[in-house]
This record gives sequence, C-alpha cells and structure tokens, in this order.
Amino acid sequence: MGFFGRDEARIPPHPRKEPRISLPLSLESLEQVFADCVDFSHREVALAGDEEKKLTLCYIGGMVKMERVSDYVLRPLAQDSALAACPDMDAVMAQIKAGALYNLGVDERDTMDTAAADLVNGNCLLLFPGKSTVLSFNVGTEEKRSVSDPENETVLKGSRDSFVESLRTNTSLVRRHLKAPELKIREQIVGRQSLTTVDILWMEGITDPELVRQVEERLAAIDIDAALSTGNIEEYIVDCTGTAFPLVQYTERPDKFCAGLAEGRVGVLIDGLPLGYLAPGVLGDFLRASQDKSNNWMLSSVLLVLRGICLLLTLTLPGFYVAMVTFHQEMIPTRLALSIIAAKQDVPFISVFEVLILLLAFEILQEAGLRLPQSIGQTVSIIGGLVVGTAAVEAKIVSPAVLIVVSVAGIAGYTMPSQELAGALRIWRFVLAVFSSVAGLFGLVMGAAALVIHLAGIESFGVSYLTPFAANDGKQVEGHAVLRQPLPRVKLRPDALKTRNRRNQG
Amino acid sequence: MKRTWLFLAAAAVVLMVLGGDPLDLLPYAREIDTVVLMRTMGADVTAEGVSVTLSSGAEDGELPELLDGQGGTISGALLTLQGKGESSLFYGHVGQLLLGETLARENLLAPLDYVLRDVETRLDTDLYIIRGADAQTAIRSAAGPGESAADRLEAMSEDAGLLSATMTRTVGQVLTDLGEQEAAFVPALELAEGTLEAAGYAILKENRLVGWTQEAAAKGVNLYLGQVDADVLETEHVALRIVGARTRVKPVFEGEALTGLEIRCRVEANLAEGTPEVDLRDRRQLEAVEQRLADTERARLEAALALSQALDADYLGLKQAACLAAPWRKADIQAGWNLPGLELQVVVQGKVERGYDAS
Repeated sequence: MGFFGRDEARIPPHPRKEPRISLPLSLESLEQVFADCVDFSHREVALAGDEEKKLTLCYIGGMVKMERVSDYVLRPLAQDSALAACPDMDAVMAQIKAGALYNLGVDERDTMDTAAADLVNGNCLLLFPGKSTVLSFNVGTEEKRSVSDPENETVLKGSRDSFVESLRTNTSLVRRHLKAPELKIREQIVGRQSLTTVDILWMEGITDPELVRQVEERLAAIDIDAALSTGNIEEYIVDCTGTAFPLVQYTERPDKFCAGLAEGRVGVLIDGLPLGYLAPGVLGDFLRASQDKSNNWMLSSVLLVLRGICLLLTLTLPGFYVAMVTFHQEMIPTRLALSIIAAKQDVPFISVFEVLILLLAFEILQEAGLRLPQSIGQTVSIIGGLVVGTAAVEAKIVSPAVLIVVSVAGIAGYTMPSQELAGALRIWRFVLAVFSSVAGLFGLVMGAAALVIHLAGIESFGVSYLTPFAANDGKQVEGHAVLRQPLPRVKLRPDALKTRNRRNQG
Repeated sequence: MKRTWLFLAAAAVVLMVLGGDPLDLLPYAREIDTVVLMRTMGADVTAEGVSVTLSSGAEDGELPELLDGQGGTISGALLTLQGKGESSLFYGHVGQLLLGETLARENLLAPLDYVLRDVETRLDTDLYIIRGADAQTAIRSAAGPGESAADRLEAMSEDAGLLSATMTRTVGQVLTDLGEQEAAFVPALELAEGTLEAAGYAILKENRLVGWTQEAAAKGVNLYLGQVDADVLETEHVALRIVGARTRVKPVFEGEALTGLEIRCRVEANLAEGTPEVDLRDRRQLEAVEQRLADTERARLEAALALSQALDADYLGLKQAACLAAPWRKADIQAGWNLPGLELQVVVQGKVERGYDAS
C-alpha cells in the first residue's frame, strides 16, 4: 500500500532476450525480421553476368550511401570475371574477404543479431546461396552536422571545434588533440531498442585502471530501452542520485575533454550526443571554466575567487536578507534599515513570502526564456525582468530591496561555469531562504551545515565531492581549488584521481 | 548518511525538549516594517524613579517620533512605551545615550548596565552627559522638521575629528574605564540657545559624575590621548595646525617608593599661516615658535592632570600607563599609587615639521 491508500505499482521482471532474433541467418529470416519496413531492400547480383552464380545484397535505404554500394560492391561483383571463375561459393567468399571488393573492412556474420545490427548501422550484407554466414561491408552514409563552434561554452582563446552527434567524428576530434597511442577507446552498446554506441576513453599509463573498470561496469549494467538523452547515461553511472549536484562533468569542447583525459580522468562519448562526459567530477571541477587555463594565472585566480564569492551570494543572499529583515534588524546599518523600512512600508506581504515569490518568478522567467526561440526568449526576459519587475515594485507588491536581492542572487548564479551546478544552487537557495524564515541566521547556518554535510557525504567514482577540501580515504590531499597556480608549477596530477603517473611535466 | 541525519534529527528533538517550549529555541521573528527604529535614548532621574526619552530619526523633513516614559527602572519605563504606538519600538539602532546631569551625579551605572544587558542595545552606543539640563530637554530641543537629536549628535560625532576639545566615548569604553581605573571621562553637551553644543568632558568617578573639564583641560585630555586632529594654535604672527601628539608616562621612584610621574609629550605641528615677519628658515625664529607651541600644550596637559589630581580620579589611565612603562615594578606602582600626592612633571616638546615658503 502506497501513499493515500493507492496500490503500489508492481514492477514485472524484465529479462533480456538472448539471442534477440532466434532465426537462422538467411534472406527469408531477414525479410521476416524487417517485414513492414519499407526501407529494407535486397537485390540479386550475378557474378560477372553468370546467371548460375548469384549473390543477394541487402541494405536499408537511407542508411547506406548508394554510390558506395554501386561503385565498390556492385560494380566489382558484376564485372570481376575472377569471381565468376571461382569453383564454388566458399571460394567466392574467400576471394571477396581477401579484397576483391573495394572496401576498407569486411566482416563475417553468422548470427541474425549481428547481421541485423549491421544493416541498421548502415552496412550492406552479401548473402551467399547455401551458406549460413554473410559478409558485411560498411557503406554507411556520412550525413552529419559539421564541426562548429561550441554553442554553450564560450571560447575566447582556444580551439573552436566542438563535439557533434557522430561518435566516430567525436573520437577523431579527440585523437587530433591527443595523438598519443596510449589513448584507448573501448566501446559498449547501451539500450535495448536504441543500441546506442558508447565509447569509453582513457589514457593508458595515466588513468587509474580501477576507475576505467568502474566506468565500464556501470555502463555495462545499464539495461534501458533507449539511451537518447544525457540523463539516460548520466543518472545510471553516478554514485548517488539523491543529489541535485552534478557528479560527472560534461563538455562540448574536445580540448577540455582531452585536458580531462590527460589529467587522468575517464571520458565517455555517446553516439548521437554532441558532448563528452568526464568522470569523476567534483565540486572544484565545476567551478573551473575552460578559459581559466588560457588566462593569466593571476587573472584566473581573481576570477576563481570572484566565482567563489558569487557561489556564496547566489546561495545565501536571499536567505540572508530574510534573516536580516525578519530576525536581526540590528545587524543592518541604520540608514539601510531606514531605507528598507521606507520601501517596504505599503507592501502587504511578509519578507519571506516576497523573496520566495520573486525567486519563483525568476525561475519561471528563466525557464520560459529557455524554452522559447531565442528571439522571443529575449523579449520574454526583458518584459519579465524589466516591465513586470518595475511594475511590481511600483504597485507595492514587492519591495525594491527584494527585487535587488533576488536579481543579484540570480545574476551571481550565472557566473557558474556549470549550468548543472547553478541549477543545484538554485534549489538550495530556496531551501536556505525557508530555513532563514524559520530561525534567522541560526536557520541559515543550519541550512548551510546541512548542505555541507550533504556534499561531504557524496562521492564521484570513489572521489570525495568536496576534494580537495575534504579527505579521501582518510588522507588529506593537496589541491588548488580556490587559486590557480602558474602552470609551470603544477607538476603533479590531482592525487585524488590516483593516477598511475602523477607527474604531468618535466 | 542516513544515520547522520537521524542523529541530527534526534539531537534537535533532545535540544527542543530540554529547552522547554520548542519555539523558545528559535529567535523571535519581527518584520522590519513593523518596527520603529529608535535612534537616541535619554535618561533622567525623577521622583518616581527614571524618566526615559526616545527619539527616532527625522526622515524626509518629517518630525522625529518622540516618546517619554516613566518607571522605577529604565526597563520599566521602556515597557510603558512599547504599548503606546502601533509599531513596536526597536532599540537595536540606538546610537546615542544621553544622561541628565542629575542622574549622572546620583548614579549612572544603572543606564549603562541596562545597555550592557539588553539584547537589543549596543555597547558601541555613544554616551553623552548633559551639562546643566536633563536629557529629555536636550532631545526635545534638537527635534524639528527634518532634524533630530540623532542627526545633530551624528554630525557632531563625525566632526569630532576636527575638534580638539571633544571626542566620542562609547558605553563599552566607559564601562571598561570605570571597571579598570574607577574613573572615566565622557563628552559633555550643553544647550546653547536651544542647540546642543559640545562642552568638554564630564569626569566620572566611582560610577557618578564628579566634575567637568574646562576648555584647556579638555584640550589637554585630547592631547594626552593623541586626538588632536586639526587643532589650530594661533599666535601673534603664525597659526600652527597640530597634526600629531604622542605622550609617554614614566614612573619616578625614590628607592622602592613611587614618588611621581614624568609625562613626556611630543607635539607636531605644521605651519598653517604666517605673516611676512616670520621666516621659519631662521633657526631662532623656528625655535621661538616651537617653544610657544610647547608652552601652550604644556599648560593644557597640566590643566587636565591637575583636574585628575584634584578629583583623585585617574580618568586618563595614568596608573595603567605607568605600569605598562615599567611592568617589572607594577607591584610597587600599585602599592604606592596616590594620585593627589604624586609629583607630576610635564615635559612637552614642540616640533614644527613642515611649512610652505610661498616667497
């Protein structure tokens, strides 16, 4: 029995069917599997015009590039007399595997599962009469978005390429940045229906093998229908889902991704998603922007400190204001207190209600701006922020001080390099405001303590989330999360990553 | 993790149970727009006990809110005031505490003790004693459209740096002085044609007012403490701007007995104005000006010290300064301390550091 007396939903077993298609590998089986699939096609090809020796070519329209099929498969089959001269189909198959057709690779498939998967992935299959194995050629289309500037991570100084939806293009981008052969890439298939290819990347000799093993195991354990969005992978591989804070870092910039790999982290690329994940991800990683290493170390340090201040502001300012005006009026400078009193004179709501309503309105505006097309979104933001805000103040629905506090807190949140971290802070901002409304500064401190306890209790792939502020395995590790050292002085990789080689420069 | 939360929740419950009413643990919520910020508090003695006068600030040309209440104690008087208006009175922003002369002569520890113990009032509240009048009159006389006692006293406080005969003293400082040296000084105010004006210092001893400084002694107090910003010394041919003073106290012994104190003061001044007859490049003229500076400042310092001896009130903290100067003889100093009987030798060195040769 669940809440309100409703019956809890029973979750039936969900066994994986192995093999997926229990049919012999043949044209009939393929036709049966792809029945009602208008894009499935097959045709017979006579070897060098010999009607006695016919092969069957299968493919899925739209997934293969027709010119490739015609030029590199059909043309040799139709014109190569050597193939027709082969005594039997075994010899033909052997000759094709030896290179009679012009293709980079040829695979032999002997099960329906692999053959059907190849067809879907853009291969064409060559079926030989009387044989239970087929040959598979990669003749897939290469229709994909071209590599362009990253849209969500602004670049001032640095490479301007970004990941695209094609997994192989993404791995090639990584290879171009990290040319060392120690870059390893393993592949897994995730999603029963989507059969999404997921690649795991790491630097052999640097990355902790245990970390690689953990990532592989967690990916292998995912048993979902389709891995179509980021959450489909992200939420399954993190240590803890009971937190709003991000536990793996994502980026759409290959250079940032490669920097993470070189640091000793494990990367995950997912086919169809134009971004890469880096694991583990701890709080300090989400406070660092990719631009930090491009800037002068002093400037970066100042910006990091500024970001830290903004983090505190966005998190605590609304709660602090509520505590001040509701419980601790003596802490407000006299002239400011008089100004707040004058501004709040005809406002009918209590301070915490004002703050919560305005925070909510801020979230609604933000959400509306994100969901709408960019041009309309900007208009909504302007109307919401300026017109409605000003009107609300003039109508004495909210006081100007609250508007300023919420705006400053909101703008301070935008300085976070990670939108996911900013989102988590937004949630906790509400919590702290409510705590403050109950017990003033005492409540704010209690709320902040609860946040620290929460953060101290979570890990990302065995690394404490508060690293380097917190100990790992009882050992306090060195690190620089607040200031950035000059790069020539940073000779060691982060200890918490347990890399096999800590030195990163001479 | 769950155990941590359970432990915290259990601890919170235990705290609430042991604390009695759970709501008592939480601070008292009060919206800021429902309070009136009182800025100045005055206390006077009456036949029934104490009279308290409160004044808010005067915003936007309006009259300040003035409230009077009587009671056996300050707390009782303030309690009678709480029910008078729609808003609750808030004392967290009281910046000045004014005490009438009569109250100060009887016992001024009660109002200071109130400030010390009350959760809203602050120890950094400036303390003033009204010379020849009561605090109520002083506060009411300062009130007008757009004007209040707080505005007037804040302006005086900000200008105190420019005046060489007054300085602000907080309740905390006065309480500390009374506790450590049983004497203290507090800026005095007087009503001159209905306006609050600085009137030197009130000297406190054993928790009551015992005397006032005249102008020279008041300047001597400032000189002793080095608070001489922008004091101008006018002579026949030059005007000197005092820019700094440093005083050292050295105990003088005869054998084991403390017989006196040597007070050495170095006063620095700049030439502010000068007539053509004066040329400070001339060594003799410079020495004459410096001698004049030293003589004037010595007289001020001696006036302050003489008052201290006459009242037997160590409001300048001479004993503590002597102990700090010779800590190895602290016991001798404390044993032989008899301020009226000590011989105070004042040595002042005047130094004109900088002038401008316009010629």
